[in-house]
Amino acid sequence: MYKLTLCLKYLVKRALAYFAMLGVAVCVFLMLSCVAVLTGFVNKVEVAAKGLFGDVVISSASLSGLGDYDALIGAIKKDVPAVEDASPFILTFGILQLPGNDFRRTVQLAGIRLPERARVSDFAKGLFIQQGLRNPTFDPCEPLILRRLGEDYERTFKILKRVAEPPPGGKLTPDRQVLADRLFNATGFQDQAVENVRNANQTARRVAELQAQIQAAEKDGQESKRDLLEVQKAAVERRMILPPDRRVILGLGIAGLSFRTPKGEIIRVIGPGQQIALSMIPLGRQFSYADITPVTRNFTVIDDCSTDVSSIDSEIVYVPFDTLQELCNMGAQRAAGDAGRIIESARCSQIHVKLKDSPGMSRAESLRRVNDVARQIDSVWAVFQKTHPDAARSSVAVETWRQRQSQLISMIENQRTLMVLILGVISGVAIVLIFVILYVIVVQKTRDIGVLKAVGASNLGVAGIFLTYGAAIGMIGSIFGTIAGCALVWNINPVHDWVGRNFGFQIWNRESFMFDQIPNQVEPGTVAWIVTGAIIAGVFGALLPAVIAAMRQPVEALRYE
Amino acid sequence: MSSTAPAIEVHGLHKSYRLGRTHLHVLRGVSFTVECKEFVAVVGASGSGKSTLLHLIGLLDRIDKGTIKLEGVDIARLPQRKRNRTRCRDVGFVFQFYHLLPELSVLENTLLPAKVDESLLSWLRHRSARRRAAIEMLERVGLGERMKHRPKELSGGERQRVAIARALMNRPRFLLADEPTGNLDSRTGKQILQVLKTASRDIGQTVVMVTHDAAIAAAADRVLQLQDGKLTGK
Repeated sequence: MYKLTLCLKYLVKRALAYFAMLGVAVCVFLMLSCVAVLTGFVNKVEVAAKGLFGDVVISSASLSGLGDYDALIGAIKKDVPAVEDASPFILTFGILQLPGNDFRRTVQLAGIRLPERARVSDFAKGLFIQQGLRNPTFDPCEPLILRRLGEDYERTFKILKRVAEPPPGGKLTPDRQVLADRLFNATGFQDQAVENVRNANQTARRVAELQAQIQAAEKDGQESKRDLLEVQKAAVERRMILPPDRRVILGLGIAGLSFRTPKGEIIRVIGPGQQIALSMIPLGRQFSYADITPVTRNFTVIDDCSTDVSSIDSEIVYVPFDTLQELCNMGAQRAAGDAGRIIESARCSQIHVKLKDSPGMSRAESLRRVNDVARQIDSVWAVFQKTHPDAARSSVAVETWRQRQSQLISMIENQRTLMVLILGVISGVAIVLIFVILYVIVVQKTRDIGVLKAVGASNLGVAGIFLTYGAAIGMIGSIFGTIAGCALVWNINPVHDWVGRNFGFQIWNRESFMFDQIPNQVEPGTVAWIVTGAIIAGVFGALLPAVIAAMRQPVEALRYE
Repeated sequence: MSSTAPAIEVHGLHKSYRLGRTHLHVLRGVSFTVECKEFVAVVGASGSGKSTLLHLIGLLDRIDKGTIKLEGVDIARLPQRKRNRTRCRDVGFVFQFYHLLPELSVLENTLLPAKVDESLLSWLRHRSARRRAAIEMLERVGLGERMKHRPKELSGGERQRVAIARALMNRPRFLLADEPTGNLDSRTGKQILQVLKTASRDIGQTVVMVTHDAAIAAAADRVLQLQDGKLTGK
């Protein structure tokens, strides 16, 4: 009992102990902040990878891709009971342009089947117009589009009002003026998008009328009138809502099509209801280079999607699977003169497989299960290849979501390990601090140690006072460090934005780090091992002073001056 | 411990210290006995070995040669755990410089031996009784009103009273006082001596008091004279 009493008294009465606690708190704060962010980063990569690709990905090494994919999906679903669903996927490169504008940018084009895609990945979760719908399509209903566009317009307008409001007695700073201009410009585009959707039928009729007039002018040989009508028709066509097979979903973050305010709000400039043009090189089948001719098509943006992975959202345009397949020359090849006979099946780049849910499984069990299923799918592929020798012209890889991201995940995990090691070494300073402070206290308390032994305290009991003291310093320091660390991690994005606004530099580059937001979750397990580590460090720092105190001879201690 | 044996039996006691290259032979074959409930004063000049003798009887130090028996039990043969327990339960110390713990209040200092004696669970069970006993002890030494004060807020005499209350807390059978009045003026010293005598008499203790003051020693039942490590008069 006396151990606890004296430990508490020394904690309260000895100001030196506060410095040791502060040292521990700073170390715990640093360790917790870094580990929580990096662990959150690893988790985000894992969740994003799984959400984007499903659990298992079958991919071909060649651009010619995989043939007979529907048959392969059927075989997998039949032979691997753990598989919930699978969906083909095409991935190629293209150039995005804005009709009537010199904006152009390279993008990745992803051919997806909707709503099938939503069943194998988290695609539907990040949609803007069709957010939360179980079966998103390239043909959402008009009232839904109008409602969401209207809401977005209102939001942008409110931000514009806030930004354009000059401070009392002053005027806008140049940066704020530029932002206000960009917002004003965006509201113009958004307004146009709403008009495009609202007047879709009239626009289609007007295009048909103009087409009829062009034909009539052609018939009458009125070339100049026809040319004028062609220009008019092209201008009206840009406002058309194209049919579902000519619609795309944009990644929310493609530079030039949207931007972010300093507060992190995303503003759509080109979005649903507006047209873009996509150009690509049809590389799906082997041709001589002379045969390769780029193809360009206009598409209506019908939705946008945020996966929370910046590198995906800033690059990808989702195109209807069949459309992209045809444009990439990956569609079925039919015999000349006999359209019913397929001489080469249609192809895709990848197949994304989703497993059935396995509630109650730990993370390790879940990873083992995914690996097992990947092996089973590989076996199915080996058998399938024998019966479908043309299915792939080059090697095919069956990988789990983790294997696909292994390079990135291991890189972040290595960073985390390195960080823990560096901070561990820094935390050694806290141990030394505790050692020095406790040593000083032991020296100061030499006579008290003699008194304690005179009233019957054992060596172990005396050591216990200082070990408990060290553990208490570790514990109290780690409580404060944990509170500060959690407060920082939970608010890391506003803090980061504040630092950016006030000091003019960004630590977190969204492009480099892939994610829009810095991970801000603290895992209880992380807190538990850091706090345990701090307490052990406290005890370790107190060990030598405690031994010195315990070994003091009572008579020498009582005579100490 | 045997109840028929003398309370303290010292025989052929030797103790020496090494101070650098010097070998200091402090006690040179000291032998005496103290009966139960007897109040014995040990007098002698500074450096005569009085405090060393008291430390050896109180198990604060190890014997080089000879024996010390407390109620018939040879303390040299006691294992460390029993030595600690004997110091805690059977021996109470009063030091010249009080040796109160500055972080603790008067009451907490008094309770210290009780807390050393009890485990956490045992303390939770007996806390009230122990607290009552400590308060009673402090009232007996005249410090009932100063229980919440810190040692630095007390006078020398008051501090020594706290030290006496602490020494008596576990109602030990032996009270060993090392110059208990040595740091006090003569008037306060006499008061302290009175407190010591009354309290120990009430509890029925055997008291060994070391002093260099003949007037203080005169209050004892018997006086032992120590000179150059040897007992010269009884």
